[in-house]
Amino acid sequence: MEANQNAGNSVPLLSVRGIYKSFGLNAVLKGIDLDVMPGEVLALIGGNGAGKSTLMKIIMGIYSHDKGHMSMNGGAVALNRPSDALARGIYMVPQEPLLFPNMNVEENITIGFDRGKAELHRELVDTMAEIGWNLDLSRKASSLSIAEQQLVEILRGILRHARLLILDEPTSALTFDEVKSLFRVVRDLREKGIGIIYITHRLAEVFDIATHVAIMRDGTITIQGPVAGFTREDLVKGLLPPDAEGSVQVRKAGEPSVDYAADPVLELDGFSGYGFSDVSLKVWPGEILGVAGVVGAGRTEMATTIFGMDKVLGGRVLLNGRDITGKRTRQVIAAGLNYVPEDRHLNGLFKICDVAANTTSASLFGGALGKVLLNRRAEYDITEKYVKNFRTKVTGHDQLTGSLSGGNQQKIVIGRSLATNPGIVILDEPTRGIDAAARGDVYSIIHQLREQGLSILLISSDMEELVELADRVVTMYQGRINAEFQKEDINQDNLTAAAFGIVEQEAKGA
Amino acid sequence: MNAVKKVLKAREMTALLFLAALFVVVGIINPAFLADSRNVANCFNDSVVYILIAVAMAFAIFIGEIDVSVGSNLGLVAAVVGTMLQDGKNWFLAFFIGILMGTVVGLINGWGVAVMKIPSLIFTLGTNGILRGLMYLQVGTKQVTDLPIAFKGASSYALFGLPLTVCFFCVLLAAAAIHGVLTRTKRGRYFIAVGDNAGGAELVGIPATRTKVLAYVICGMLCAVAGILFASRAGQVTSQSGNGYEMKAVAACVLGGISLSGGVGSVVGAGVGAVIMASISALLVFMGFSSNFDSAITGVILITIVVVDALVQRRAAVRNRHARLAARTNAPAGGKEAAEQ
Repeated sequence: MEANQNAGNSVPLLSVRGIYKSFGLNAVLKGIDLDVMPGEVLALIGGNGAGKSTLMKIIMGIYSHDKGHMSMNGGAVALNRPSDALARGIYMVPQEPLLFPNMNVEENITIGFDRGKAELHRELVDTMAEIGWNLDLSRKASSLSIAEQQLVEILRGILRHARLLILDEPTSALTFDEVKSLFRVVRDLREKGIGIIYITHRLAEVFDIATHVAIMRDGTITIQGPVAGFTREDLVKGLLPPDAEGSVQVRKAGEPSVDYAADPVLELDGFSGYGFSDVSLKVWPGEILGVAGVVGAGRTEMATTIFGMDKVLGGRVLLNGRDITGKRTRQVIAAGLNYVPEDRHLNGLFKICDVAANTTSASLFGGALGKVLLNRRAEYDITEKYVKNFRTKVTGHDQLTGSLSGGNQQKIVIGRSLATNPGIVILDEPTRGIDAAARGDVYSIIHQLREQGLSILLISSDMEELVELADRVVTMYQGRINAEFQKEDINQDNLTAAAFGIVEQEAKGA
Repeated sequence: MNAVKKVLKAREMTALLFLAALFVVVGIINPAFLADSRNVANCFNDSVVYILIAVAMAFAIFIGEIDVSVGSNLGLVAAVVGTMLQDGKNWFLAFFIGILMGTVVGLINGWGVAVMKIPSLIFTLGTNGILRGLMYLQVGTKQVTDLPIAFKGASSYALFGLPLTVCFFCVLLAAAAIHGVLTRTKRGRYFIAVGDNAGGAELVGIPATRTKVLAYVICGMLCAVAGILFASRAGQVTSQSGNGYEMKAVAACVLGGISLSGGVGSVVGAGVGAVIMASISALLVFMGFSSNFDSAITGVILITIVVVDALVQRRAAVRNRHARLAARTNAPAGGKEAAEQ
């Protein structure tokens, strides 16, 4: 355990070279090179699924890498388990703090140490005095706010003499004042020579707090260097795929156009709930309205709240002019709205039931399947219709859904929600985690539905997907809608910038 | 710090007050109960087996799991040790083999739950069946009744004419020692930590899997000791011995303030809960009811506490989630970016 100040200035604290990692056939990291110097705050930016978390988990020793090597202070290191990383002075503050809710603050900070209690207590008190934090050490962790929990996590790292601190989206659940005090701490730590990897979704923070920046996209690092060398536009460009410029205006002509003079199918008016606030939007018949944003922007919360799964805090939801605000899920389905959740495994599928049971499971309440006994014939017909239409690859209606591929599972979930004959469907990240071929199939299903006059609210973090499918896009940022783009303005540049919070100037001007 | 300790103790205090209130109420209904101090003392003396098994169960619950094989583990050890003593084998050899057996059972449970990651209820239900089956083979239809007098008397031995037995004090001392290890030592805190937040424990370098296996090993070992005490106190072992003790043990734990979701509570609480559990059937008799109500009442107590606990926890979870989501939207949505440029 060397003192953290003494690390040489020319030798990187942590150096990562040629890291590859695959999960099954899915290559998540494709040759990552990254250096962190002492006293450097490296902002790591990237969209969802870019591989940031995987890389951090490899550095923390939670995952092993397939290829490549890491060194610290010039010497090669093997980080095979979290205790290895901790022993070498790496500490990660996870996005959702992993405290022990039933222990008090001091116990939370000092657990897992090999040093004496009294010594630790003294050091803890000294450290807190030094950085000017005032935290009651005897409070139970479950009573702490998220910001306080993060402070506890950071204290853990400092007390462990961490020389490299990883902060994973530390501001995502903080209020403005809390963000300011966190930034002060980060600056303090930087002056002490601690290296910091700062993962964020907010580009503005990069210029606020970071000395260096690296952008990850699709398992590679596209841009890396001192912050001073980049503008926001450079960063946005780094987040986009290389052919993005070309794809700006490739939208197909000849699609049926939406009749914006008609009455909207779905209308949100000042709609607020937990995680989103004051959302107003309209969806017209036969329209695909994209909802862009980064994870945590409040999109899923908005959808589940419309769908009657969480409490409404304000505003109204009108479906075909009827007020369905705060209705139960069953009533919302009956009124003609259905929701296909983001996480098929958690909320969507009955994995150990067969294809037929899954397809028709949402239709059980109506009379379509018989009053008391199941009408096997009807079940067969409905299932056959969706299996055929969607080209779902199944061995038979009796195949267990859990044994299907991700893409085919997704088709079943979409089929199930359509089997209730809704007027509008909310699709939440419909192509997340499925392969390219299945993605194409899902796109053509969505096109097909639109042609049939169904309205779709398409929540997606995949900007390409929105460019491909949406008639109109709104972006959500920190729980509010911060921009709206008409068809001709939908391109990856605009959407990415707005999703990362850079919108005020451009959007108002446009 | 003292204030904190008081708060922490509150959970066990509730159980202790409940126990005292129980004695008083029974004393009011039937004054004969409190008239003879031996009645109260017997409640404590009878509780030694329950205390050990509740502490054993507490280890499984601390880490967020459960062990429903404790009753059969206890029974099998009692049967094997009893048979050996009946056959005139060396006491210490018999004890050693009994404790070894219980420990191995714990190791198997720990492997299944922590290493193979099988849901603990299912895995230990399986071991429970196996152990009970082995017991039928060991004891058969005959009973183990011919235990040495000295062995039977050992657990009832009392010094200086005290109403409480030496055995009770020993168990009390053991529970206090375990409590000390769990709360005062670094490694001791690991059990609670793993149950409180397994992912977080891993991240601060606590070996979660190893800690879980160790919890089951200790659990099995304590069951074995409880089995030996059971044989001594009951003076006989049948193929049904120890049946239903798992529910008593779980009830004792939750009654003593241990949360079934893990990470909360102490073995002291489990011990107090165990005394209550042990007293129920005696108290029923004093109140003029049949002791056959015992099992039903235990079940009612268990479910009542667990349901209340679940409601409290669910509300806290929803509140935390909402607070987190609300914090996101409260951040100023506009203007901040522009102001900083």
